[in-house]
Amino acid sequence: MSTIRTLIVALVLLCLTCVNVVHAMFPVGGDDFNSVVKMIEQFYGVKHTGIPFLAKAGMKVARTAARIKGGTARHIAEAGSVKLAVFENQEFNGEFIKFRNALNAALNQTWQPLIQTLSATDEEQTYIFLREAGEKFNVLVITIEPRDATVVQVNLSPKNLALLLKDPEGTGKAITEEATLIDQE
Amino acid sequence: MKLLFQTKLGALLAAALLVTLCAVAANAQEPSRLQLGSLDHLAAKASKSVDVNIDERLIRLATKVFSDKDADEREIKKIVAGVKGIYVKVYEFENEGQYSSTDLNTIRTQLGAPGWTRLVNVTSKKEGNLEVYLLMNGDMVNGLAVLASDVKELTVVNIVGPVDLDKLAKLEGQLGIPELGIEPAKKTKNDDEK
Repeated sequence: MSTIRTLIVALVLLCLTCVNVVHAMFPVGGDDFNSVVKMIEQFYGVKHTGIPFLAKAGMKVARTAARIKGGTARHIAEAGSVKLAVFENQEFNGEFIKFRNALNAALNQTWQPLIQTLSATDEEQTYIFLREAGEKFNVLVITIEPRDATVVQVNLSPKNLALLLKDPEGTGKAITEEATLIDQE
Repeated sequence: MKLLFQTKLGALLAAALLVTLCAVAANAQEPSRLQLGSLDHLAAKASKSVDVNIDERLIRLATKVFSDKDADEREIKKIVAGVKGIYVKVYEFENEGQYSSTDLNTIRTQLGAPGWTRLVNVTSKKEGNLEVYLLMNGDMVNGLAVLASDVKELTVVNIVGPVDLDKLAKLEGQLGIPELGIEPAKKTKNDDEK
């Protein structure tokens, strides 16, 4: 009887340890998109203008258009997965090193920073974060320029994740361009 | 019997704690992982700074999503198999003298730790100084560091885990690793004899 009890305790402990290790390796977080948008608004004293719903709808339209074209038009993000916030014609004055540190501190539990590019002379910042979400991969691209900014969150297929990992800067730019262009369609 | 149960429970708890601590420690400590945070202040002076962090989790993801059908991806997959991290920092400046020898020395000091060996037979097509270091464990390469410095540019590449220097050139321009123009010296007859 006591052997069975010991075995059960051992199993429970093993499960707890596994959960602990898995949690440490693959931290799972909630939706940080809105938190990042709010963080930008508070840090720079700006207001976003993008409506994520329109981007989602736009993406569906674009997918249909792509199918009609016979699949020649390529899209990086998965249909319906785009969340977009746009900040237009506003001042983004502030210490970007301070902003970078705050952003990394806020996201480091749930997201993996892939690449961060800063330009002190052009006052441009780009941040790309990644996380696994079950079978999918979430990518968060934050771009801040002197007068504009965008926050884009998309789901990527494994194939497009490979593209992002091979060329993080170029693919990150393409994700933002695709999301903002479709939003304008 | 109760005592036996308590002893076993204690041992199991200790084992579970040990496993957890080992997992955490393995995640936190890698001898070939350089601490590059001392360079972060340069971003404020740089016309462009790039910070790439591809840790073991992302390497595993990469090996999972890279296709065997694509020759490029298949090659990268082979090279990074076993690698535990790729970390890159690039700083480009508009003017000279924006980084100091102290900045370089904080990295060089870490590369002076036991196991690190500076390679001298490596050249670059690019101008400036190029220093390549390998962390050796017997005959095995367990890490690599590249320190490329020019008057207006500073690049540090740190690959954690086993990597083949001859294949490093194939990673240039991929996974956030910049073009370094590294050309490992061709093997001489003497090298083969050694």
